[in-house]
Amino acid sequence: MTAPIIQVRDVVLRYGDFTALDRVSLDVFEGEVIVVCGPSGSGKSTLLRCLNGLETFQEGEVIVDGENVATCRNLPALRRRIGMVFQHFELYPHMTVLQNLTLAPIKAQGLPRAEAERLAMDYLTRVGIADQAGKYPGLLSGGQQQRAAIARALTLQPRLMLFDEPTSALDPEMIFEVLQVMKNLAVLGMTMVVVTHEMGFAQEVADRVVFMDRGAVIETAPSAEFFASPKTPRARAFLKRILRIG
Amino acid sequence: MDWQVVLNNSSLLARGLTTSLELTLFAIAASLPVGCLLAIGRLSKQRWLSLFCASFVNVMRSNPLVLVLFWLIFLVPLIIGHRVPNLAAVSVAFVVFFSVYFSEIVRSGIQSVGRMQISAGLSTGLTRGQTMRHIVLPQAVRAMLPALTTQCIVVFQGSTVAYVVGYDELLHSSSMIAERTGRPVELYIATAAIYFLVSLAGSLLARRFETKRSRA
Repeated sequence: MTAPIIQVRDVVLRYGDFTALDRVSLDVFEGEVIVVCGPSGSGKSTLLRCLNGLETFQEGEVIVDGENVATCRNLPALRRRIGMVFQHFELYPHMTVLQNLTLAPIKAQGLPRAEAERLAMDYLTRVGIADQAGKYPGLLSGGQQQRAAIARALTLQPRLMLFDEPTSALDPEMIFEVLQVMKNLAVLGMTMVVVTHEMGFAQEVADRVVFMDRGAVIETAPSAEFFASPKTPRARAFLKRILRIG
Repeated sequence: MDWQVVLNNSSLLARGLTTSLELTLFAIAASLPVGCLLAIGRLSKQRWLSLFCASFVNVMRSNPLVLVLFWLIFLVPLIIGHRVPNLAAVSVAFVVFFSVYFSEIVRSGIQSVGRMQISAGLSTGLTRGQTMRHIVLPQAVRAMLPALTTQCIVVFQGSTVAYVVGYDELLHSSSMIAERTGRPVELYIATAAIYFLVSLAGSLLARRFETKRSRA
């Protein structure tokens, strides 16, 4: 196998006295789907934000697509290769869906407007909401907004995608449509790191599961193995709790 | 009541109103940019800068406008050794005083935009400046417009303070006419009506912005 597309080595991140990430290491290979799970406040989202330089950490190193994130001279260029999807969608409310998708391609990538719009419409079609292109995000359902947000990330044609609890803010009946879009992406071979409590998605789609607690990676295992027989007591307790609810 | 006296002096009143509006426009045009700088300074990560701006805002907010003007008329001459011209005193007082209120409006406008919106912009490869310009500021301005318009009305009403140094704004003009003609009741009612109408126009404008915003 070639070098991992994401290499996280002994990353430590502190906010004052609080240690948010405690010597976290993780390799992700091209085409892999990784699900990161764990109790809330365990550092999952913080880890994700370190991967594209939205958080600065004090120790260790993160190398994504061959570039050291901490010392990267041109973070915007690196971030264009890393799509990110947020819990609360974070579509820009003052722009139409189409403008949301074309802003970065035009301003950051320098694509001509027509080209950016063609790409954007292509991805909106793929996530099934081409008919919503001219609307403002506030008029869309939660599921449609999140699909638009995924399309916005894809329009930059990234090499990998980060998902930060993409279905946690959605009504139950809308979770399915978003997970469906994510599954399709996985099938097409997109490298994905997904922070989620959707254990069904993890079981069905993930190659490996990373279990975090209190800022540390407690267990990393192939998905089937993790769900059949979690090795650590903490992961076992977590699974027991979450599967009973879910 | 003899309303003829108001009509007879309408051109003087009109000149007073023009002066008031000029003062207001100047105060807004000068204190809004200063207010923006104060707001950005307060939100800065540089501790000393945000502390300085916060102290300035809090000290100025706890003083009445007339007192700020008195400082400039009575206190500053003692320090610099010669008197401050009236127009300069009024201008400086207005800018110092109103920029503080504008800064609070601008600050809350910028803060009303979710921090994750910035993350979203940055994550798509926009620079900090581009994120500010295309994502944060347009939303902040929309959120600020109603409060900004209201504050502009307050500035208009505050412009009467120039009266204190004998500046010929609307209230000063009408009080001079009242004294000369011995008809204070008619003149002050007419003056109140003028202030009311201008302020009403302002609040109607503010409400328009508000409904526009809630529709978006």
